[in-house]
Amino acid sequence: MAAKNPYESAWNQHLPVKEQMKITGRLLSFARYYKKQFVGAIIMSFALAIINIWLPRVIQQFMNGALAKHNATTAVILGVGLVYALGTIVKALVQFCSNFFFSMGAERALEDVRRQLFTKLHTLGMRYFDLTPAGSVVSRVTNDTMTLGDFWNVFMSLLVGIFSIVTALVAMYVNNKTASWIVAAFIPVLLVATWFYNRYSSKVYRHMRSKLSELNAKLNESIEGVSIIQNFEQQKRVDREFEDVNNDYLDTRRAMIKTNSLLLSSFLNLVYVFALTAVLIHFGIMAQTAVVAAGTVYVFSTYIQSFFNPLGNLMDQLQFFQDGVVAGSRIFRILDNNELAPQQNPGANAVVREGKVEFRHVSFSYDGENEVLHDISFVVQPGETIGLVGHTGSGKSSIINVMMRFYEFYHGQILIDDRDIRDYPIEELRKKLGLVLQDSFLFYGDIAFNIRLFNDKITDDEVKKAAQFVQADSFIEKLPNTYHARVIEGGAQFSSGQRQLISFARTVAADPKILVLDEATANIDTETESLIQDGLRKLRQGRTTIAIAHRLSTIRDASQILVLDKGRIVEAGTHDELIAQKGKYYDMYRLQMGEKVEE
Amino acid sequence: MGIFKKLGWYFKQEKKRYIIGVLALVATALVNLIPPRVIGILADLFDQGHLTGSAAWWWIGTLLTAGILQYLFRFAWRNMIWGGAAKLEKQLRSRLFWHFMQMDDTFFQRHRTGDLMAHATNDLNAVQNVAGAGILTFADSIITGGSTLIAMMIFVDWRLTLVAIIPLPLLAVAARRLGMKLHAAFSESQAAFSRLNDKTQESVSGIKVIKTFGQDKEDVADFNRIVDRTININKRVNRIDSLFDPVTSIIIGATYVIAIIYGGTLVNAGTITIGSLISFVAYVNALVWPMFAIGRLFNVIERGNASYDRVHELLQEKSEVVNKPHALTTLSHSNIDYALDSFTYPGSDKVTLQDIHFDLPEGHQLGIVGRVGAGKTTIIKLLLREFDHYDGVIKIGGRDIRDYTLEALHNAIGYVPQDNFLFSTDVRNNIRFSAYDKDQPAVEAAAKTSAIHDDILQFADQYDTLVGEKGVSLSGGQKQRLSIARAVITEPDILIMDDALSAVDAKTEEQILEGLQADRQDKTTIIVAQRLSSVMHADEILVVDDGRITERGTHDQLLADNGWYAEMWSEQQLTQSLERSDA
Repeated sequence: MAAKNPYESAWNQHLPVKEQMKITGRLLSFARYYKKQFVGAIIMSFALAIINIWLPRVIQQFMNGALAKHNATTAVILGVGLVYALGTIVKALVQFCSNFFFSMGAERALEDVRRQLFTKLHTLGMRYFDLTPAGSVVSRVTNDTMTLGDFWNVFMSLLVGIFSIVTALVAMYVNNKTASWIVAAFIPVLLVATWFYNRYSSKVYRHMRSKLSELNAKLNESIEGVSIIQNFEQQKRVDREFEDVNNDYLDTRRAMIKTNSLLLSSFLNLVYVFALTAVLIHFGIMAQTAVVAAGTVYVFSTYIQSFFNPLGNLMDQLQFFQDGVVAGSRIFRILDNNELAPQQNPGANAVVREGKVEFRHVSFSYDGENEVLHDISFVVQPGETIGLVGHTGSGKSSIINVMMRFYEFYHGQILIDDRDIRDYPIEELRKKLGLVLQDSFLFYGDIAFNIRLFNDKITDDEVKKAAQFVQADSFIEKLPNTYHARVIEGGAQFSSGQRQLISFARTVAADPKILVLDEATANIDTETESLIQDGLRKLRQGRTTIAIAHRLSTIRDASQILVLDKGRIVEAGTHDELIAQKGKYYDMYRLQMGEKVEE
Repeated sequence: MGIFKKLGWYFKQEKKRYIIGVLALVATALVNLIPPRVIGILADLFDQGHLTGSAAWWWIGTLLTAGILQYLFRFAWRNMIWGGAAKLEKQLRSRLFWHFMQMDDTFFQRHRTGDLMAHATNDLNAVQNVAGAGILTFADSIITGGSTLIAMMIFVDWRLTLVAIIPLPLLAVAARRLGMKLHAAFSESQAAFSRLNDKTQESVSGIKVIKTFGQDKEDVADFNRIVDRTININKRVNRIDSLFDPVTSIIIGATYVIAIIYGGTLVNAGTITIGSLISFVAYVNALVWPMFAIGRLFNVIERGNASYDRVHELLQEKSEVVNKPHALTTLSHSNIDYALDSFTYPGSDKVTLQDIHFDLPEGHQLGIVGRVGAGKTTIIKLLLREFDHYDGVIKIGGRDIRDYTLEALHNAIGYVPQDNFLFSTDVRNNIRFSAYDKDQPAVEAAAKTSAIHDDILQFADQYDTLVGEKGVSLSGGQKQRLSIARAVITEPDILIMDDALSAVDAKTEEQILEGLQADRQDKTTIIVAQRLSSVMHADEILVVDDGRITERGTHDQLLADNGWYAEMWSEQQLTQSLERSDA
C-alpha cells in the first residue's frame, strides 16, 4: 500500500521525545474500548509465561529424581510423559487465546480509529479539503490506521518480555540464588543494547522509509506522465533520476540490513551464550565441592533462553513503534483539526418558506489575509434568478461557498427570508438549498442511487420523475439495466453531459427551495448541450436561483446580473441595462459571441 | 524449484556473494551443533561432582568460542543474502522502469497505473523474497536440518533420534497448509481493505456533493457498514494466524513426550547419560526452525515464481512504435502531408478515423474542431506516432514520419496535451522540462508567451514554487498555461495544442493566441479546440465528426457553407442577433 502514499513527508521530521510520548499515550488510549480483549490477552500471556517455566521444571524433576537414580518405573516414565503432554495442550490453548484475543482487540480498536477519522472528516470545513490532496486524506484513514495494530503489539511484546524475564528469574532464583543473580546482571546489558538499537535503527529506518516513498512517488508519477516524457524525449533523464533514487534506497536498505545483523537476534544470541557461560562457570566452581544435578543445568539453559528470546522479538518490533508514532502524528493532525465546518447559532430552528436571499455587506477571505469578497450586497426575491458573471478569480465561486456554508465569513450578513442564515439548522439549509456543481460527481452504485443518494424517502417513482423532468430518462432508459445500471468509479462511462443531467435529476429529486448553480465550463457535445440548457431552465422554475454563468446566454433572462471583478460588484442590472452601459459586461458578451458578429 | 533456475542469471552474476553467504550458512550450522552437545557434557561432568582437572574449563571455553563464531558467521550470511535480495529487487526495478519508459500507448491502455505499481512493488517483493528468505530456508532446512539430525544420531542415540523426530515432518505440513489458508484469507482481507479505500476515496472526492445534500450521517453509516464487514473478514485471518504458535507447540511437545518416555527409558537402562538426553532436547529445539522453514519455503517459492512470471511477461512486451533501422535523425522542413485512409485502435473493431487528408505547409495554422469523441485527439496521436499501424501515409518534410527516429520527430514537435500533466518539481523545471539547459530568461519568455508569468510572480517562491501536493495547487487554467509554456520553450517547428485553452477564459485565450501568432510567424501550429474562437484565424479549419472530415475551409468559407460549423457559430450568435433586432 505504500505505493499509494506519496506524501510521507512525516518520515523526514524528527519528533521530539515529549511529542512521541504524548502520541503514544493517546494511541494507547484508543485501545481502552476493547479492554476485555486486551486484558484477556495479557492474562493469557502471563499464564503462558508460567507454563513456559513450569514445563522444563517437569523435565528437571524427572531427571534429578528417578532418572538420576536409575530407578524409574514404566509407570513413572509414562506419568511424566502424560503430564508433559497435558501441559503442552494447555499451553497451545493459552497461546491461541492470547494471540486471537489480542489481534481481535487490535483489529476492533483500529477500525474504531478509522470510524472516528471518517466521522471527523465530515465535520471539517471545505478549506481542509482544498488544502489537502485527496490521496493523502484517504491514506490517513486507511494506511495509517493499518499500522496501529503493529504499534499496540509492540506494547504487548513488551509485556510478554517482562513476564517471561520475571518468571524466568523467579524460577532460577528458586533453583540457585547465585546463578540467578549472575543472569540478572545481564539485564543492564540488554537495556543498553535495546536502547542503542532503538536509537540507531530508528534513524536508519526512518531514512529508509522516506526513500521508499520517494521511490514509489517517482515511479507513480513517471508512469502517469509517461506520454509527456516520451513526447518530449526525456526518457533518459527521467531514468537517470529514477536510478539515483533507486540506488539511494538500496543504500538505506543495506544500512538497515547491517544494523539488524549487528544488533538484532544474532547479538542477543551472543549475550545468551555469555550469560550461559557465566552460569556454567559458577556451576563448575560449585561442582568442585558438591554435585550439581544435570537437570539443574538443563533447566538453566532453557530459562536463560526464555529470558532472552522475547527480547529479540521485542527489538524486532521496535520499528513498528516508529511507524505507529509517525502514523499517529498524522492521524491526530486530522482528529485535532479545528478548521471545522461553519457552525450555526445554538438553538437555530428557523424554516425556509419563501426563499428570499439577501447579502448585506459581506466580505470574506479564505486565509484571513487576502479578501476575496469585498462588501457584497444584493437581494434576490423568491422565485427570481440572479446571475453572477466575472473572470476566473473574480469571486463568483466564493459567493457560492459562503452561501452554501462551506466556509465561514466574518463580515456582513447573509439573510434568508430576512433571517440570519445562522438561525437555520444546517439540516434545513441542506434540504432547502440545492447546489449544482460544475463537475458533476457520480458515486459508485447505480443510477437510482446517484439520483436519490442516501435519502430512502425518495421512491423509485420519484427518481424516474426527476429524471424525466430533466430529460435524463432518454439515455437512462437505453442503458442495460436502466435505473439500476452500475455506475463505475467517477461515472467514467458517461459523458460529462450525461453526468450533468444525472446531477440535475439528483437536485430535482431533493426539491430545494433555493437553487445555487455553478454552470459547467467543460464543453459538452451539442446534443446534450440543448438538453442541459432545457434542464437548467426547468430547474430554475419556481426556485430562487443564484447562478454562476460562463455562457452569458444562460442568464440573459435573469432579473439581475452582477458583474464581479476582484471580489467587488462592479456592474449590476438586467441584461439590457448592462448592454446599454457598454461596460465590462458588454465587452465580455461581445468577446463571447465572437467579434466577427458585430461587423 | 523452477524459480531458482529462472533467477540463475542473478545468482551467477552475484556468484561471489552467494558462495560466501552459503559458506557462512554452512559454518553457522556446524557451529550451532556445538552448544547443545557441550551443555550435555558439562551436565554429566557436574552431575558427578568433585570436579577435577581442566576438562570442564576446556568445554566452557569451547562454548564461548562457538558463541562468538556464531555471531560472526550469522552477520556474514545475513549481510550477504539479505543484501543480495535487496540488490535483486533494485535491479529488477530499474529494468521495469526503463521498460515502462519505452512502452507505447497500447501498453499503458492494457495496464493501468495501479497495476504497474503493484507489479513494481508487490511482485518485486515476492521475487526478492526468493533470493533472500527462499535461499536461506532452502539452505537452512537442508544444512541445519541434516547436520542436526546427524549430530543427534552420533552424539546421542540413533534409535531415539529416529523415533523422536516422527512428529517433526508434521511441522512442515502444518506450515504449508496454514500458510496457504492464511494467504487465501489474506487476499480476501486485502480486497476488503481496497473496498474501504475506495469508499474513503469516493467520499473525499465527493465531499461537496455529500455536504450539499446534507448526507454526512448517512455516509458515515455506510462507511461503518463496510468497516463491520471488514472486521468479520479479518477475524478469519486472525484466527488462522493465531493457530501457528499453538500448532507448533503441540508438534514440538509431542517430540518432547517421546524424548521423555523413550529417552527416559534409555537413561534408566544406562544406554545414554542424562547429559546426552539434555543435548538431545536441545537438538530437537534446533530442528524446529528448519522444519517449519520447509513448509514456508513452498509458499515463498510459489509466490515468487508467480510474481517473477508476471514481471517477466511485462518485460517481454514490445512497443509497437520503434525506430526503423537507419532511421532519419533530422527533418528537412516541416510541411505536413497527412493522408490517412483509416485507423482502428488496437483491440477495437470500430474504425476511429477515415479519410483524413490535409496538407499543412510550414508556417501555416490548422484548426481542428468537432464534438467530443469525434476523433480529433486521435488525429494528433497518429502524428505523434503513438500508434504506427494505420492505412495511409503521414509525411513531414516529405518523408513518412515512420522513417524518422522517434527522437527526431518528437524534438520537432511541441505538444500541449489535453490532460495537462505536471511533475512534482518546481515551476521552472516544469516549464523547461524538455530542455534543462534553458536559462531563466528563456523560461520567463515562454511563460510570458503562455500568459502565466504574472501568475507565477504571485506564487510564494515564484519560479521555485513546487507544483503539486507539496507546493501550490494550480487551477485548471494555470495548469494549461504551464503546459503551453513547456511546449513553446524549445520554439518547436510544429506546435500542437490539443484542447489546451478550454480552462482559460476568453480574454486570456485571446492574449495567448495573439502571443503565439507573433512568436510563431513562420512556424506550423495545429490547434484542436472546442471553442470556435480558438481556431477562427487559422489558415484551414477541419470539422471532424465520427472520424471523418465533414467540413473544411477558412472561417469565412465554413460560415458560407452553412453546415455544422456555421450552426455552432450561429448558436453563439443567436443571442446577439436577437439583441440586434431588439435594438
